[in-house]
Amino acid sequence: MSRQAPTPRTRVRRLPELGVYERERVNEIVDEAIYCHLSWVGDDGEPRVIPTIHTRLDDELYVHGSAASSTLRAIRTGLPVAIAITLVDGIRFARSMFEHSMNYRTVVVYGTAEEVTDRDELVRVFDAITDHVAPGRSADARPPTDAELKQTTFVKIALDECSAKVSQGFPEEPDEDLALDVWAGILPLRTVAGEPIPDPLLAERTSVPGYVSDYRRPGA
Amino acid sequence: MTEAPSERTRVHRHPERGDHDPATIHAVLDEALLCTVSWVDEDGAPRALPTIQARIGDTLYLHGSRGARAWKAAAVGTEVCVVATVVDELVLARTSPAHSMNYRSVVLFGRGREVTDHEELSEAAKAITRHVLPGRELDAAEPDDGDWRQTLILALAIDEASAKVRTGPPKDDDEDLALDVWAGTLPLRTVVGPPSSSPDLRASIALPTYIPASGEELPRP
Repeated sequence: MSRQAPTPRTRVRRLPELGVYERERVNEIVDEAIYCHLSWVGDDGEPRVIPTIHTRLDDELYVHGSAASSTLRAIRTGLPVAIAITLVDGIRFARSMFEHSMNYRTVVVYGTAEEVTDRDELVRVFDAITDHVAPGRSADARPPTDAELKQTTFVKIALDECSAKVSQGFPEEPDEDLALDVWAGILPLRTVAGEPIPDPLLAERTSVPGYVSDYRRPGA
Repeated sequence: MTEAPSERTRVHRHPERGDHDPATIHAVLDEALLCTVSWVDEDGAPRALPTIQARIGDTLYLHGSRGARAWKAAAVGTEVCVVATVVDELVLARTSPAHSMNYRSVVLFGRGREVTDHEELSEAAKAITRHVLPGRELDAAEPDDGDWRQTLILALAIDEASAKVRTGPPKDDDEDLALDVWAGTLPLRTVVGPPSSSPDLRASIALPTYIPASGEELPRP
């Protein structure tokens, strides 16, 4: 596995044993999470953060939005961004409130956003972001027209400065808490899909594709 | 929809999705299991950290280790921006650009106040425990003074916040409606799996009734 040397801000300092720097494990978390939280510094010098869908191609993370979006207009000029991606795998119930925790996998990425201008790359990343939401979907959905490509801005952030933090297992509690008369353990969590709801304007004969009826996140 | 409390909380793109109603904002903060806190570090660069939140009335409580950079900065009154997101449905349109999500998100700006009052600390600890799973706060042992020397609780007033909400079917253009592609929405939800007791749990302690059965949705406060 390729291992990325942590920088001062990606080195996991709190509980350093949870730090993960292997690119393949970072990629798995990035690919499984549907959306990320993207932050940057506003004109006023204060922080901003929004949710957005992302996708990954090789060593680049892509996010997109309307060409008119104030977020994308702000960051596409190369502003530094920080991106947090979080998956919660379970709740860790300790006997004391203080030792409660989550089984989680998070990735934080630092970098600068670069606007995608190459048409072929735009088409590829459009497919990738559609498949990120619903794997297999890009083969069915009509691809973007030239006009639609112009209305959408994609930016990419190199996955150069990033790290994952992975915490799994049972609660760890001090010996004196073990005698407490309180249940302790793990409750796993997962995201599941319900029944698909057809668009009211959908022609009746259109059947639900398998990637919708059997929907699951990659890795989940 | 009520007025945006400030220019930076005004929803610019899709203003019809903007919602400043406290009830909407509170529901998202309660329902989202976690949030991301962002701040600007001493070099002027953005930072982001996922964490668990809890709400009591118009106050959002966050907690963190006193040893962590984020909380050191936040405790001295650095401005933070918090985002919480709930994804309700995937929106699968006939064309790839019209794909979207039905989601509810809240963005909140503010400067934190470190909680020092013992009663407020206790209420915040219970609220955070309850946020994770309602009922648990009545069961788990409360933090003691030693715990509070390691953990910091930050209170943020929920007064400069906005919600953004998308609902409903895909919005394909009329000329795309004839495309032979299934379109609609796919609801997503977080369910629990079978619980596992800690290996060192005394055999006489039964599974609490507030733990939902496997396959049930995670209850929210």
